[in-house]
Amino acid sequence: MFSKVLIANRGEIALRILRACRRLGIASVVAYSEADRDSRAVQLADEAICIGPPESRRSYLNAPALLSAALVSGCEAIHPGYGFLSEDDTFAEMTRSHGLSFIGPPPEVLERFASKAGTRTLLAKHGLPTIPGSGMLRDDSHALSEAERISYPVLIKPSAGGGGKGMRMVRSPRELQQAMTMCRSEALAAFGDDSLYLEKWLEENRHVEVQVIVDRFGNGVHVGERDCSVQRRHQKILEEAPSPALDDERREVLTDNAIRAVVAAGYENLGTLEFLLDREGNYYFIEINCRIQVEHPVTEMLSGLDLVAEQIRIAAGEPLGYGQTDVVMRGHAIEFRINAEDTAQNFQPQAGVVENYLPPGGPGVRMDSHMYSGYEVPPYYDSLLGKLVVWGPDRATAIARSLVALDELVVDGLVTNISLHRALLAHPTFLDGEFTTNLLDRVGSGAFLAASRAA
Amino acid sequence: MTADARRTIARLTTDTLPRLIERLAKSELGELEVREDGWRIRLRKPSAGVERAGAADSRAARDRPRAGASSTGAAHNDRQVMASRGPHAQQAENQRGRVTSPGVGYFVAREGVVVGFKVSSGDPLGHVDVLGVRQEVVAPINGVVASIDVEAGQAIEYGQPIARVETNVQ
Repeated sequence: MFSKVLIANRGEIALRILRACRRLGIASVVAYSEADRDSRAVQLADEAICIGPPESRRSYLNAPALLSAALVSGCEAIHPGYGFLSEDDTFAEMTRSHGLSFIGPPPEVLERFASKAGTRTLLAKHGLPTIPGSGMLRDDSHALSEAERISYPVLIKPSAGGGGKGMRMVRSPRELQQAMTMCRSEALAAFGDDSLYLEKWLEENRHVEVQVIVDRFGNGVHVGERDCSVQRRHQKILEEAPSPALDDERREVLTDNAIRAVVAAGYENLGTLEFLLDREGNYYFIEINCRIQVEHPVTEMLSGLDLVAEQIRIAAGEPLGYGQTDVVMRGHAIEFRINAEDTAQNFQPQAGVVENYLPPGGPGVRMDSHMYSGYEVPPYYDSLLGKLVVWGPDRATAIARSLVALDELVVDGLVTNISLHRALLAHPTFLDGEFTTNLLDRVGSGAFLAASRAA
Repeated sequence: MTADARRTIARLTTDTLPRLIERLAKSELGELEVREDGWRIRLRKPSAGVERAGAADSRAARDRPRAGASSTGAAHNDRQVMASRGPHAQQAENQRGRVTSPGVGYFVAREGVVVGFKVSSGDPLGHVDVLGVRQEVVAPINGVVASIDVEAGQAIEYGQPIARVETNVQ
């Protein structure tokens, strides 16, 4: 096991990794930008090293600065968290060539799963149904002919990154041509890579993902699925498990096939396989995320596993040490992403001082957040303030506890999306477990908020 | 100091300053400057705006008390009022003379650079070794090296004070 780890991230996930390190008896060094000097992770860290100015490009995306910080502080491994360099095979390779361990898949595994089109082909070979899609688009005319072959509507997706940036659903050749330029520039700005591909768009689909853990000896388990169908413009807002859209039989088929395919394809470490589920219950593999995900606590609540600790253990070369039958999932959990954004102003991100922060409590309530009263939210990064995760023995109890917890949660000083979560929990479509990924965009989040105020 | 000047300072500190501090605290602005009869009051808070304006200076900005309505804040700004004629320029010059680390790594001093060493703006004082790549550390102003704050071979972080250069003052 490692004795010292560099945490190359910020916000709530830096804190989450720090807690896992503490539990495992590992010293932690937090790498931070000048904008995060007063962050909770820096305060709690065994050591903290300033790696650069606020701009991500010169700090959290600055590979030499991170590696140098790890080396001068005597770390043995780097945990990249999510986003930033977490799935960058070049960074993973650089980490290894400097004699350090990358806490995530090894570089060659990251490289094998780096191309989304390539991964679809690879996992299709190992038995997963995949969504019809194109390879990398060469130019507009290639895009038009591929869209014709797949048949409209299609989703334009960037080959690198995630989080909804550079993604557009189009219904006609004209819309496709108009959207391509915008998607290219968005993808270039967000990921430094403007390559795009197409994917068949399923109307009324649900987004369900399977959590997997695989050690370097080929032992793997799945830790059930998460339903991330509540989205706004392809950005997840709320996640829950188990998925209300699957019965036990279908769940078993999906999760068993997922773990069997990734183990056979040579995956290693923690990963998430994303699927689309159509109205008839058919599932299609779309992509794999080779990192810890924002919504991992949902799975932790059901399984009792510490996924970040598992990730570190496996990166250190330890065997998994348990099998599928040892993974027992209990009850229902919902995660609410608490964002500093103004739902009334087109979800514009907010920066400023959190004047008062009071987290909720009670049975089954967990709050993962880097906030404290007086914390200043810097304007340079994403708007995630924390995650409220609520567990109950069944979905109805989880929802009832969530309502109490959301009412108790106080974040004063800046505008947040807490009211949107309350509105979602009051909506009959959500209560019936019928949410689809396009619902919020079709109805409009404004209508959700208005309906809950009128009620 | 004339009685006139004393009265002006008293008026500025008890009357003008608290109002300015309040206004700055409420506003989105990072800096506020008021000029009146040859007096100048400048308030600055260590906000994002300041960091954006000059990343290298943000450590200095942070070390200053916040422009909140606390008594220490007022006292600090009081000193700025006092220093607004003449010495103010010297203070700014001292700020500019601070040399901070351009990266994370090991500091390697240039041979012969010691306290009292005369430098011109842009002269190398050493470099930071970042994974074997040199990041030059240069004198920001003309003057003499007044202090060296790190030892050769020491591991340093981004923005860490390395040295201070002072303009020649007689």
